[in-house]
Amino acid sequence: MKVKAKLKNGVISVKAMAKHEMSTYNQAQKKTGDRENANFITHITATLKSSGETVLDMSTSQFLSKNPIFKFKFKGAEAGDVVLMNWVDRKGGTGKGKGKIKGK
Amino acid sequence: MQRRKFLNFTLGALALAVVPASVRAENFRETKPTVWTAHTVDDAIKAMFGSSETIKDGVKVKTQDVASNGGAIPIEFSTKIPAKTVALFQDANPEAAVCAYSVGKNDITNYSVKIKMAKSGTVTVVVEGLDGKLYSGSKTLEVALGGCEG
Repeated sequence: MKVKAKLKNGVISVKAMAKHEMSTYNQAQKKTGDRENANFITHITATLKSSGETVLDMSTSQFLSKNPIFKFKFKGAEAGDVVLMNWVDRKGGTGKGKGKIKGK
Repeated sequence: MQRRKFLNFTLGALALAVVPASVRAENFRETKPTVWTAHTVDDAIKAMFGSSETIKDGVKVKTQDVASNGGAIPIEFSTKIPAKTVALFQDANPEAAVCAYSVGKNDITNYSVKIKMAKSGTVTVVVEGLDGKLYSGSKTLEVALGGCEG
């Protein structure tokens, strides 16, 4: 998972991309004949390394794009801190990534 | 007996102590499973927030008017209302819910995400304010090429 974090005027903007097929039930039905083969990210979180505080908490469905890109913003962190991100998918797979906050 | 009571008591206390930390990280897929299987936006909002009556004000939704690729449509949404929960729905796919955020005290409610839509439709963002009221904003867009065949 790629994570980019930038600090500007006290606001940290994060841009992240998760590598995931994000297949829907209908796509799974078409490709494999079984809609239960659908697999997509269901929950994404981001926390700060310094304080452990959660800065993003997102429950997701199959309708995010393939390799979903998403952006979010938060306050109260300093440059040099690290944003840690984790995701979990429908089949229990996980992924993680981290990005150092840049800027001043 | 005495010891069992003591154990029960301490375990209970421990469980209570753990709760505040986990309140923040609410996985809506576990706490509200019906949201993700609802077929209409109205039903999904009801399952999520208990009511589908919203104040249609204060929520900005930005996207293209015509999306050439339904497989990755960037949607940007923001609100200035102090929010507890933000959720995104659309009416072009078999199920309505796309994603839901539980908002923390330092979060700025300005999100952007890429979604799939099978055909033209309306995206609706519902914000549950800290005041307990529901606010919503929506935007209708055309999809030239469907993204995910449902």
